[in-house]
Amino acid sequence: MSKGILLYARNNSKIDYTKQAYFLAKRVKNILGLPTSIVTDSELYLKTQFPDCEKVFDKIIPIVWSENSNIDGTILSKFENHFYKLYRDGTISKQKLAFKNQLRSSAYDVTPYNETLLLDTDIVLSNTNFLHCFEQKNNFQIYHESFDLAGFRDYSEFKYINDIGIKFYWATIVFFRKTEENKIFFDLLKHIQDNWNHYKSVFQINQSYFRNDHAFSIAIHIMNGYTEGDFASSLPGKLYYTTDKDICWDIDKNKITFLLEKENYVGEYTLASWNDVTIHVMNKFSLNRCIDKELKNV
Amino acid sequence: MDERLEKAIKFSNYMASLHNQKRSFQEKYYQDLIYFFNGSQFTVTKELISFCKIMLDSSQTEIILIDDNQIPTEIENLEEFFNNIKNIYINASNEFIVSYNRIKKERTIENLVDL
Repeated sequence: MSKGILLYARNNSKIDYTKQAYFLAKRVKNILGLPTSIVTDSELYLKTQFPDCEKVFDKIIPIVWSENSNIDGTILSKFENHFYKLYRDGTISKQKLAFKNQLRSSAYDVTPYNETLLLDTDIVLSNTNFLHCFEQKNNFQIYHESFDLAGFRDYSEFKYINDIGIKFYWATIVFFRKTEENKIFFDLLKHIQDNWNHYKSVFQINQSYFRNDHAFSIAIHIMNGYTEGDFASSLPGKLYYTTDKDICWDIDKNKITFLLEKENYVGEYTLASWNDVTIHVMNKFSLNRCIDKELKNV
Repeated sequence: MDERLEKAIKFSNYMASLHNQKRSFQEKYYQDLIYFFNGSQFTVTKELISFCKIMLDSSQTEIILIDDNQIPTEIENLEEFFNNIKNIYINASNEFIVSYNRIKKERTIENLVDL
């Protein structure tokens, strides 16, 4: 059985996701000893910026748009360049940028592995816990339980996707094997994405842009027979995250230092450091600054 | 700023960082307490250790346990399983107390987060 990591990296005008993917793939190699493949629409940029990328990545899978991708009615025409999201860099700085997250549902089709761990590029990997998901029996694993490093924020949106109690799952990290059930799941995901306005309305989601977390949560809910069930089991441990209101200050091997948003004091932060814990860093700007620093030191 | 207030704010920043560091050690501890066995995941608790010990003392050599994902798992060698979870508990707790004692002595934020 082939095992590996799959990353999606699609840059927007300000955030270099390919750089994050390159940095993560290096850490995956060192810490997990597994190959990483990247799906990107910036193949040429990747190869120019990181000349050794073909050594770092097992496979570079380019996204090629076909002509009919632009015809109305396809997933691409509905989503591409239509979604903008507010990206923060701490509590004060923010900007609206394109949010290109629409291709995750193709993971089953594009992955070169039988057992795939799909990761967001803004994960800072710091331990070997993910190796255990390849040993677990369940063919589909995802996080429901999460932990906010800042500790005081309202995280109810990460518990349930709506007021009628559909469980929230993080599409940030997903493990799946190539099985018939998972094929059905990813096809369902495409269907949900294709009819997003309908599902958004049925499941009472009040967010203007498409979120993979919501689509995955709805698909799991449907796969479980519109109730809670065993289709998805938990990945090892829980998902640790900081929001984009926090600032990633430094990454030194497996130690990550943060400036965490201070409760009731906009623009003020509390210093904290975490050792040997894998963390989802939502502040992409500060993560990229840390990566720049780290890559310079190599 | 009034010196008394300035000192209080400095102290409150220190306390906030101390609180954050304690949380990070606690979470690291919970993470270290996870035992991955045969495709199953067990959080090592005092209850699990005691239960396994009771079973061993009543001459059980194998046992069925329900893991963190509610999956029944056959433990064929209970003694080995017991020794492993006991070691995990001891190592994780030792690491926790070492980290905790280190920051207990620190009086500046820089030292707290080991900058």
